[in-house]
Amino acid sequence: MKAIITAFAQGIKKSGVSPAAISMPSDIPFKPEAIRELGVDFFQTTRGRPIAFGTGLKLGNPALKVMPVVGDLMTLGGNHFVHGGRRNMELLVICVNNFVYKRIAGKPTPSAGAAFSPYSTFEEPFNFPHLGNSCGAVYTARWTALHTEQLADSIAEALHKNGLSMIEILAPGPNYYTDITEITPDILNFYFENSTVKDGEDPRNVGITPDENIIVGKFTSKERPTFIDQYNAQHGKMLGDKFIPHGYVPTAGESGGKHA
Amino acid sequence: MKANPREVLTGVYYIDGDVASGFGALAAGCKFIGGYPITPSTEAAEAFARVAPKAGAVFIQMEDELGSMAAVVGAVWSGVKSMTITSGPGYSLMQENIGFGAMLETPFVLLNIQRGGPSTGVPTKTGQADMMQSRWGSHGDYEVIAISPDSPQEMFDYTVKAFNLAEKYRCPVMIMSDECVGHMTEKVVIPSASEIEIEPRRLYTGPPAEYMPYKPDEDLVPKMAKAGDGFNLYISGSVHNEKGYPVTVDEYKSVYVRRLVDKIRRNKDKIIELKEEATDDAEVIVVSYGISSRVAIKGIEIARERGIKVGNLRLVTVWPFPDEKVTQLAKKTKAFVVPEINYGQIVFEVSRCSHGHANVVLVPHGGAGVHVPDDIADAIEYAAKEDQKIETVVEFKTRLERTVFEGGHKLKE
Repeated sequence: MKAIITAFAQGIKKSGVSPAAISMPSDIPFKPEAIRELGVDFFQTTRGRPIAFGTGLKLGNPALKVMPVVGDLMTLGGNHFVHGGRRNMELLVICVNNFVYKRIAGKPTPSAGAAFSPYSTFEEPFNFPHLGNSCGAVYTARWTALHTEQLADSIAEALHKNGLSMIEILAPGPNYYTDITEITPDILNFYFENSTVKDGEDPRNVGITPDENIIVGKFTSKERPTFIDQYNAQHGKMLGDKFIPHGYVPTAGESGGKHA
Repeated sequence: MKANPREVLTGVYYIDGDVASGFGALAAGCKFIGGYPITPSTEAAEAFARVAPKAGAVFIQMEDELGSMAAVVGAVWSGVKSMTITSGPGYSLMQENIGFGAMLETPFVLLNIQRGGPSTGVPTKTGQADMMQSRWGSHGDYEVIAISPDSPQEMFDYTVKAFNLAEKYRCPVMIMSDECVGHMTEKVVIPSASEIEIEPRRLYTGPPAEYMPYKPDEDLVPKMAKAGDGFNLYISGSVHNEKGYPVTVDEYKSVYVRRLVDKIRRNKDKIIELKEEATDDAEVIVVSYGISSRVAIKGIEIARERGIKVGNLRLVTVWPFPDEKVTQLAKKTKAFVVPEINYGQIVFEVSRCSHGHANVVLVPHGGAGVHVPDDIADAIEYAAKEDQKIETVVEFKTRLERTVFEGGHKLKE
């Protein structure tokens, strides 16, 4: 957790975006008080709903940079992610994946903790970057929690992307798992050591399997009109002068934006 | 403060209740509706979606009602007034984030155009069977305000009022309407902006470093801040202390949740609106809300023609419930008659507050239609004649129920 928050701090600093302009909705498991040190506005929402909550934040005040941090993303919140990608809502989705690699004792999926699967898991996990890219995300990357520098760079870059970006962070959450399995904080190193960086890799090829190294890296970056761009274009076309474009009011410390 | 002229569609209209509510939301300063269309509430969302882009407001069709409710709570924390619109199954899906919104003390409005249930029920016809769900639908202790309009004009007026109450008490406000009022077309007068009073958000204005998001004012309601204003907010759906941090200590929980319910309960005299007529020397008092209160007018008229002294208590505000008022009336009347389009919801509140002083008669209706006024009149007549004290709620057998269940009547195939 500490590693991730450090990367958040570095990424935000590198991006040049004022922390005050960043809102971070999370779901239930992710609520570290240390997050306050980042200087962002933090909302601990309901399970799987940070993307939907973030959609409201963004449309209520388009000047905000909204960075939903999700754990249950692909289970409870899968549909919000799919549609966020389709709309290209301007959100930087951070998926903290605490999936425990199948080689390790416990072997749970993202949606089932070790305690829930005493006889190991047999379900195929999602390939998150592939799913995100297929749904229209403009930026996909995956890092382990120990790729601090690359992770920070990705966050800095994605904060300036126009549309839905997603960064998957492999972070087994040793605080939790050490209580119920034999997993120790060494698992962070295990991930780090058993990963291979392949920037630009086709997301179709980055699924996590038990027998191969985990592929990490910045996979895709593309441009698509955002939801607000399309909203303004369509209503402008239909209503002409009667339409009041959905505004972009830069908040304190923010350098302005394309809707200004 | 007064409404913004850009958002008030001043004029005289011939529109249905749904549309009137959509226009009311705009007039109240609503800047965001996230919703998922569902019969019979869709026209309200359509009306808002049509006018919103010309008034600087946004409508988004979300992926589902879970997302709609979550987006509404998010939009409110970004600083704008927000609402969602739904019915039946959508209302059930929203319960999760209604509780979340209540826990965060988020001011928002939810329009429920009730239809027949349970489940898919009767999508295109009326019902009043979500009344208890509006009070108890999400888990845990919390309080909401629920209003039940009975005409398109009231759909406009009370939508504005719902936003004002939400801002004042920082809680969810439900407009518990129904298909009949939603699809009823009548004259609606939208006044000028200068005639519409708007409750502004209770924003904190002191130094950001000293801001305590959950430190209440004297009326138990805390001041709010919005995202992006440098408050470094930590806002959580977990039980939290005044700083907003989650706490597990028992005393914090009792103090916090206590205030969450007390801010409504202790202010209920200021919140509750009732319409009361001829209750002073009434033998029987009809207690009703929403469309049933309009049908009840005719039932009361028929009963009066039969020589019975009938009083009328219309619950404009259903939650918080007017306990004291009902108890006070129970002491001076013989019986209450409660017509509602369900098999008994608000009638049990009336019974609870009667404390055995007055008999309580339910005139049930299974939904997909409204009461026959004669049934209400007959129930009033029965209640006036009944001299025995009856401990439980009496369920009056309506014409329909007598025909179907007692008359050996075969249901139409």
